[in-house]
Parts: sequence; structure tokens; C-alpha cells
Amino acid sequence: MIVVRDLRKHYRVHERPPGVAAAFRSLFRRAYKDVAAVDGISFAIASGERVGFLGPNGAGKTTTLKVLAGLLHPTSGEVDVDGHDPRRREDAFLKKIMLVLGQKQQLLWDLPPSETFELNRAVYDVPRAQFAETMGELSELLELGDLVKKPARTLSLGERMKCELAAALVHRPKVLFLDEPTIGLDVSMQATVRDFVERYNQRYGATLILTSHYMEDVARLCPRVIVIDHGKLAYDGTLEELVARIRPDKRIVLRFARPVDASDLAAFGRVVRHGAGESVLDVHKEDVNRVVGQALAQLPVSDLTVENPPLEEVMSELFARGRTAAARTESRSPGPLEAAEGSTR
Amino acid sequence: MRYLRLFGMQIRASLLLSMQYRLEFVLDGFVEVFWMATAVVPLYVVYERRQDIAGWSFGEALMVMGWFTFLQGVLEGAINPSLVTVVDHIRKGTLDLLLMKPADAQFLVSTARLQPWRTVNVATAIAIFGWGFHLLRRVPSAAAVATASLAAVAAIAILYSLWIVTVSAAFYLVRIDNLTQLFNAVFDAARWPAQVFRGVVRVILTFVIPLALMTTCPAEALLGRLPLHVLAGCLLAGGLSLAVARRVWQTSIARYTSAGG
Repeated sequence: MIVVRDLRKHYRVHERPPGVAAAFRSLFRRAYKDVAAVDGISFAIASGERVGFLGPNGAGKTTTLKVLAGLLHPTSGEVDVDGHDPRRREDAFLKKIMLVLGQKQQLLWDLPPSETFELNRAVYDVPRAQFAETMGELSELLELGDLVKKPARTLSLGERMKCELAAALVHRPKVLFLDEPTIGLDVSMQATVRDFVERYNQRYGATLILTSHYMEDVARLCPRVIVIDHGKLAYDGTLEELVARIRPDKRIVLRFARPVDASDLAAFGRVVRHGAGESVLDVHKEDVNRVVGQALAQLPVSDLTVENPPLEEVMSELFARGRTAAARTESRSPGPLEAAEGSTR
Repeated sequence: MRYLRLFGMQIRASLLLSMQYRLEFVLDGFVEVFWMATAVVPLYVVYERRQDIAGWSFGEALMVMGWFTFLQGVLEGAINPSLVTVVDHIRKGTLDLLLMKPADAQFLVSTARLQPWRTVNVATAIAIFGWGFHLLRRVPSAAAVATASLAAVAAIAILYSLWIVTVSAAFYLVRIDNLTQLFNAVFDAARWPAQVFRGVVRVILTFVIPLALMTTCPAEALLGRLPLHVLAGCLLAGGLSLAVARRVWQTSIARYTSAGG
């Protein structure tokens, strides 16, 4: 469905040291620097797959997404989305895809969302019967109800995102590009959006690419993740395998009947947190059985749970590793990663 | 045909938007009528002291005024509101979402927002023409009306093209409020017959910002004294400016890479 080969996107950014004098000088002579937002990425995504893009800010996730959607032209490399070259932005291509940007909205601000739906119906040339059917299904899946009749500006952020999704799906796209669809939403609304996206994918077999800062989104929705860091592909595979690779540890949470000394715990594993009644240990997954047995035998354990380390921690560790690796290779010109996402104009 | 339908949808949305706030809708109407009433004042004041200016009598100058009022309606009713919308899109980065639509982006942008009250200008323009012909004690011939309409079409094409070029500047400058104010200030010169201006100013107003073509030509046509070759020139200029504007727009879109991407 989607094939990307050796994709590169470089920006020429104007570089200026701080200060008024430097600003004045830069009026006449500008120093430019090439920033590689995406630097040689390849992957293939099958029809109906759900893939999550992970990476720190400025890693190149959104840039890749926008290249796939045809909004940005790649510097080099090949991109094919269902037989189309996104760059050409043919109508047939645009009718197959949708893009939701969590921080940007297309709903007409002062009008009810139903008007935006109607406008999109006309723009996408959707036959009336199909439109009625799609809207019926979407409002059932998203529980839109009367929301569509209230002016968009009176809706809450979560309600607006639901309508935003409906507006983007009027033409039943086969490929969904979702950039931070749950940003700023409360936990229950995040779950609603996730459930909806999953059900939509299952019902219509749509291909889905998602970027999100919330690991929960990716963990729940995407069996496959692609990690992009410094514009390069750092990982492509299942989330479990990624976690296992970065953190081969399991996390053991111990609750005690009476206080235990920190020094007594060190023998069992790496102490993450130690409190009066509760301690947290990281233990290599192969040692879990042994350590649990010993702990139960030797410590006053009242309760014990074994869990995976939190995804957020795993990710920050992954990206921290990426940064130190990058710092080693680019020690002469530090810090392109901040520039990459902030200066794409 | 599809675009005609789309145009209808856009007009519908604009109408709904205008009627969303009842008070604003009514106030807009009042303000519009007031502005129209004051539009002729400068011309009236000048002609109180003189019989004619640069060969134009008051009645004749009213023809120019009429076309100016008409074009101002087009500018403020259809062109400026959309301009504001697209600049907003560029600043907020929502132009991305517009570019994802399977329809011509220039069309979508151009028809994004209309101010229905500005159609009052058309009625006012007709009233001004009526007044002018009453003073001149004559009636325009059918041929004059036809040529004037053609010249007006060319004028709208030029106005629209100038606007598209201004919008394209927004891709590079992001803030173009000043540019639009300059545009409005220059456009104000179109309320006078082109012959009023002399020297460099007249050359600029004929060839660079062709205000002369925009209001003076349709006025001359209505008075039945526009030579056919000038009309042909107007139409050519209209077509040419549309082509240039299209080119500029496409180049700008190609260069556009969205903010914060």
C-alpha cells in the first residue's frame, strides 16, 4: 500500500547567532545550513496495517507524514501511496487519503460541524446516499448525536476532535494519516478516539499511520511501530520486541508488612524506588522467577506484582541513547535536532 | 459544473456564517448603506467649484464613480474576506488541510468567504449610473451597456489577479496586513477618471496597477466612447493578468512548506 525508499527531506535554514549586531549583519550576509529532517528512511506498509511513528520532537515524524500526504516534496527518494506519487496531488489520490492534525482544525468555527460535513461532501464529490450512510455510521461510532448541530466554537476540545475526525472521513478514505490526534484530550476522550480509530480500521480495512506523544495511543492501536530519530529509521517492528530490546528488565513492585532496609534489597535487583511500605525493583526478565521466589522467602512481602516497565520510560531511554550516539558522531556541529522541526518554513 | 456546485456550497456557508450573528448581520447592513451614501461626497465637493475636470463633467465622472463603487463591492464583498481567510490559514498552518482537498486550491481559497451585504454596492452603482445619465440627459445604448459589461469583466479579472498576487506574497511575508492597506489606498485612486492623473502616476496607474483600465474604461464604454481596440486591449490585459496570477500562485504553493511541520 505504502512504499518509501530512501526518503530524504532537507531544509535550508537561515542560521543566525543571537544578538542585535548579528541580526543586523544577517540582513546582508546570511549563513545557511542544510538540516536533514528526514535522512534516508525506507519502509513498506501493507494494506490495512496500523503503524505508529515514534520519535522525539523534531525527529522527522511529521515531516515523513506530510511527504506521504503530498504536502511536502521530498529532496530525494521514492514514495508510493497506493500507486500514486503523492507529490502530484492528483484528485484520485487525495480522495483516498485523509490527514488529521491534532493541533489544527478544519471545522468552520462559527458554524455547526454538519455544515463542514456538507461542504466536504461537495468537495469530495460523495453521492448523497453514500454520504448519509457514512454519516450514520460515523455518528454511531463516535456518538456524535446533537453535537453536529451546535456551532463548532461551543464544543469542547474532545467533542471538536470527534467532529474533526468525522469531517475528515466523509469520503471514506483508505489511508489515514493521524498526527497527534489525541493531543490535549483528557484520558477518557483519548480512549474514545483510540477506540474509534481501531473500529474504523477494522470495519473499513483502512491503512493507518499514527504519530503520538502518548505511548498509550501507540501501544493500544499499533501492532507495528517505526521509530524515527534524527531523521533516520531507528527501529521497525513490533512494540513488544522494541521494549524487550531496550529494556530486557521486568519491574517488580513489592509491598511490605514492615519497613525493609534499602541495603537488603540491593541483592535482588536494581532498586528504582524505595519507600517505607513499597519498593520497586528492575530485574532482568530471565531472573524474575528466581528473584520473586527469594523475595517471598526472605522479605516480609505482603503484596507483589510483576509488570513491564512504563512505555514512556522505555522511549525516553531509547531517545537518550540515540542522542548520545548522535552527539558522538556529530560532535563538531551539535544540535541539528532542535532545528529540524522548528524551522521548516 | 462541479465547480459551480462547489461555488454554491461556499456561498451557502458564507451566508450562514453572516446570519449566525443576527445583530452583526443587521449592523453590517446599516454600515454598508451609510458608506454608500458618503461615497459620492468627495466627487460632489470638487465639482461644486468646477464645471469639469480633465474633460470630465460631473455627470460623466459619476460613471467612473459608479464603476468604482461596483468594483469596491466586488473587492470588499468577495476578494478581501477570502484574503483574510487565506492569510489566517497560512499563519495557523491550516492551509495544509485545504491543500489536502481534491479541488483546485486557488478556487477554494478565492471562494472561501463572501460578505453578502456588499452586493448592496451593485444597487448603489446602478443608482449612481442613473443619476449620472439623468444629469447628462441621455440613455445609454444597448451596445454601450454591452461593451461596458465586457470592460467590467476585464476589470474584475485584473482586480482578482492583483489580489491573488498579493495573497501569494503572504507565503513569503506571512504578515501582509500592511500590503492590503496599501492596496486599498491605491485602489481609492480609481474613483477618479484616469485623465485626472498626469505623468509618471498616470503611467503607473495604466500599466502597473491598471486602475485606469478598471474604472475609466468601463465608464467610457457606458458613455459610448470607448474605441473597440481599447476594449480589446482591456480584455487582453484581463486574460493576461489572470494567467500571470495563476502562475504566481502555483509557484508560491510549490514553495510553500507548512509552518512548524
